[in-house]
Amino acid sequence: MSRIFKSREFLVLLLLVGMILAVSTVNKAVLRPVTLINILNSSLFLMLIAIGQMFVILTRGIDVSVGAIAGVSAVIFGFALNAGFPLPVAMAAALLTGLLAGMVNAVGVVFVGIPPIIMTLGTLGIYRGLMRVLTGGSWIESIPRNIKALAVTRFASIPLMVWGVAVLVIVVAILMHRIRATRHFYAVGDNLDGAYLLGINTRRTRFIAFSLAGLFAGAAAIVFVGQIGFVPMQTGDGQELKAIAAVVLGGVSLMGGTGSIWSAVIGALFLTAVDSMMIFLRIPGSWNNAVAGAVLLAVVVLDYAIRRAAEKRRLTLRAAEMLRAETAMAPAGVQSEGRA
Amino acid sequence: MSNLRWLKSWEFALLVALMVELAVLGMINPAFLNVQNLLYSTSDFVHVIIAAVGLTLIIMTGGIDISGVSLMGLASIVLGLSFVAGAPIWLAVGVALAVGLLAGAFNGSVVANTDVNPLVITLAMLFLYSGVATGLPTLLDMLGFKAYGAGGFEAYQYEGINGLPKSFTWFGTGRIGWLPMPLVVTLVLTLIAGWLMGHTRFGRFLQLIGVNAEAARHTGVPLKRTLITVYALNGLAAAVAGLVLTAYFTSARSDLGAEALLNIITAVVLGGSSIYGGEGSVLGTFLAGLVLGYLRQGLLALGITSDVVPVIVGALLIGSVAGRIGLAALQRSRANRAAYETERQAVAANGE
Repeated sequence: MSRIFKSREFLVLLLLVGMILAVSTVNKAVLRPVTLINILNSSLFLMLIAIGQMFVILTRGIDVSVGAIAGVSAVIFGFALNAGFPLPVAMAAALLTGLLAGMVNAVGVVFVGIPPIIMTLGTLGIYRGLMRVLTGGSWIESIPRNIKALAVTRFASIPLMVWGVAVLVIVVAILMHRIRATRHFYAVGDNLDGAYLLGINTRRTRFIAFSLAGLFAGAAAIVFVGQIGFVPMQTGDGQELKAIAAVVLGGVSLMGGTGSIWSAVIGALFLTAVDSMMIFLRIPGSWNNAVAGAVLLAVVVLDYAIRRAAEKRRLTLRAAEMLRAETAMAPAGVQSEGRA
Repeated sequence: MSNLRWLKSWEFALLVALMVELAVLGMINPAFLNVQNLLYSTSDFVHVIIAAVGLTLIIMTGGIDISGVSLMGLASIVLGLSFVAGAPIWLAVGVALAVGLLAGAFNGSVVANTDVNPLVITLAMLFLYSGVATGLPTLLDMLGFKAYGAGGFEAYQYEGINGLPKSFTWFGTGRIGWLPMPLVVTLVLTLIAGWLMGHTRFGRFLQLIGVNAEAARHTGVPLKRTLITVYALNGLAAAVAGLVLTAYFTSARSDLGAEALLNIITAVVLGGSSIYGGEGSVLGTFLAGLVLGYLRQGLLALGITSDVVPVIVGALLIGSVAGRIGLAALQRSRANRAAYETERQAVAANGE
């Protein structure tokens, strides 16, 4: 249990709760359930692409194209709905689009050997251009109204979509806990060669990670279109950087191998909450980015400081222990080098 | 033989690519090859080259700084606000450049003093600086400063700041002889950066850090100082890029250059720099920037919508890296085969 309290996810969760409570002293309206539900609701898009991003970063990759993938998937989703396909088919089309786009990244990174940031930066341009080409640069409107039902229908006063994403998150969390193969993501990210020597199929693992990033971006597109009811050209613009910020904030290291799905969930919630808090504090929205950047910077630097202090303490403790052992052993003339 | 090695260099390949590109575009549309036009159209994209040249120095060390795109807007709005607040234009320029330099040095000091990935740090800075750039006008209003125009400083957030003096906008719209000023600025900066990289100890330090930072530290390279300096220089380059763009548009805006990230990194990577550090060339970045910029101009001149341009730029980025990976693999296998062959002959000779 104490491991949970020491985790970065928990630290950021505390910061999140602390921030909301602090703002509530200025403006009580923050604590109204409807506000909190709204924060939850508007974090869904970022949360989903952040979860996808998490898989990639766990394996020590990075995917800056997830926002653009969400954009293309949203366009396909909109086309499918406007063409009269039933909702489940349209959803499948959006997910498939995302998956395919993710697999393209995966092929470039895993089989050609292009550095992830280069590959996905390239596909960022390609997917974003593709989105404009497909739509001729105009928004997709007149999407059947029934899609909004997903976002508007409420169960226990919480939108259906929030329930849907919550179930998805819990299912993924359980799967990541129960399926041993999901640990391959961590192994590959922590030490690629080591994982390979352990017999892990590192290529397949990295391939799946990039594909999942695409798949979740496709899911995010469904949420996005469901919530606003049309597809603007800006869909997913700049969200890839926010998604990276969210997972890093939540404790996923870009050096791979650390973090969990809760990193993505809490990070996305935090960044979304920051935007809402600004409104309640009556700070102009133009400062949103500055605050998000400052928080991210503070958290990663703080995390570094904590890690270094812990490391230092560990080393001092060990030095003291060694010294004790040495003095105890000295009369017998035994070296204590073997201890570690 | 050795004095012909430059024929095999990546820079020469880029130069050939540039010539071929211009020739092809010129064949399709002869009007494109008007020399004056070619020179003037560089003003549309040299800000990418300036920022990319700065970034080349950082990528040489194995680091990266993506916050430059935000610094362009920040430098621009700082210049504009200083000017409308009553500072003489030379001072406003100085303040804007100083902001770029200091912001870059700040990035560098965080990178040098922690083990956090530079991408994460500069991602935070990207948000931070762009937020400050968009928020600055409202902050001045809140602090009670008075702008001369109606609507206070906040109006500038959306409209941009116009009315900058001719002595400044000359840097964006003027020319020396045939050369437009933005291109002159770019050439000067490219030469300086190329000199730093190729002819100074600082430049060798950059490469050494990129090859092996730990080894560099042990051989006495002042790691922190070098890193802070190089990130500061990149910040300065980004600020210059922002100011050149400001002068060219004759309007200071906080969102200038925000969409340039893909192009900047593509220019650096297409220019032959390795994202892992230790390998790179300022001249290559400059040439790659020209190739990219003219490609865009040419496509637009051919009536291809600007929507397709990022698709082609992205494909070019991926293709160039994939091509280099393939080429390296080919060379490796050829070297292996040659080594195997000599070994076999040696064994055969021994056997007799």
